[in-house]
Amino acid sequence: MTLEEQRACMRPLQLAGLIIMENGGETFRVEETVTRMGRAFGLEEVETFSVPSGLFISYRMSDGNVETSVKRVRRSGNHLVRVDRVNAVSREMERTGMTPAEAAARLEEIRLLPNRRSLLPIGAAVCAAGFALLFGGSWPDLLAAFLLAGLVEGICMLLDKFHMQALVAVLLGSILTVLVPAVLKSFLPVLSTESVIAGALMPLLPGLTMTTAVQDTMRGDIVSGLSHGIEAILTAGLVAGGALIANAVFRVLTGGGLL
Amino acid sequence: MIPEIIRTVAGAFFGTLGFGLLVRAPKRSWIPASLLGAFTFAVYWGLTQLGLSDAGSIFAASLTGSLLGLFCALKMKMIGTVFLMLSIISFVPGLGLYRTMQYLGAGETAPGADQGIRAMITIAMIALGQGTGSFLFRAFRPGGRKSRKPAAINKN
Repeated sequence: MTLEEQRACMRPLQLAGLIIMENGGETFRVEETVTRMGRAFGLEEVETFSVPSGLFISYRMSDGNVETSVKRVRRSGNHLVRVDRVNAVSREMERTGMTPAEAAARLEEIRLLPNRRSLLPIGAAVCAAGFALLFGGSWPDLLAAFLLAGLVEGICMLLDKFHMQALVAVLLGSILTVLVPAVLKSFLPVLSTESVIAGALMPLLPGLTMTTAVQDTMRGDIVSGLSHGIEAILTAGLVAGGALIANAVFRVLTGGGLL
Repeated sequence: MIPEIIRTVAGAFFGTLGFGLLVRAPKRSWIPASLLGAFTFAVYWGLTQLGLSDAGSIFAASLTGSLLGLFCALKMKMIGTVFLMLSIISFVPGLGLYRTMQYLGAGETAPGADQGIRAMITIAMIALGQGTGSFLFRAFRPGGRKSRKPAAINKN
């Protein structure tokens, strides 16, 4: 490979790492995939270091110089289809070989895959209804959790369109999730607010992030573990804060608390 | 009244399915991953009914979910993350973390600490179960370990 071709290998490596990081892949997967791709290109001393907000790649070229790239990562939610496709491309490279240009083209295609954001409210609604059932809810509770979680996710998506911070959306979402069932209960006494709230809050809660944090830490990725842990605590704090705000609002409106 | 086991399994199935849509898991994984989520929760539920401690049941269920998840990923040629993530979603303690912060926010330190410790034990058991499962799967991988040598690299 000429030096120019070796330099061109950086683009697919960056793309692969960025796509995985931006779409909810784990840091160990980024490091594994990028290193595997680098070796498949025939590069030497391929090193990858990733943290939730950054990606660092380096490799030694045949003239002895080290080519290095630093990229800021901005997470855009979970899109595991993209992560899965990148992984498939890296394995295909390993098996059959691919030029840097071909790999970059394949990865650009993956990056441009449709977002399918319309699925998110449906997902949140189904998830909330399932958990409301798991927490002992009745049919009206299931329906209420389904509609409420779908609505809250829709509002979160709308806020995201106006470039609002994700955490603001979580706070607003939790206020609505707690307040709406309490108000509905006044008209529909059959409703169990606890099941509805518990179910509808599930898509907002950071249980999985906290689990990832512990898994990262156990794997030795301390920076990633800390970062995920802080994110989880902050999110849980915001959800709880939203619930407390909703409780205060309800108390002001009706004179009685709901929590 | 819906019998508890059906309610539990159906709830876990739909909870997992919905979460799969939320994380935009590949379409062909939706049903198998949801079945896995429901099965894993059924294992946890069954073990607690048999008198095993909550922590022990979560560890056993995570271990089962992890082994089956990695097997599904291998057979379906997909990333393990999809199945590993969705197999445990029905018992990750999101609600426990929320209640911890809620109690602490309301100034009730003792129940807050209690909820927090329970949530952290659950998380530790999940992580331990999945870690053990991944280790066992790599060690006794069906079909054995295949050595991967880079293919002839560049076409030019």
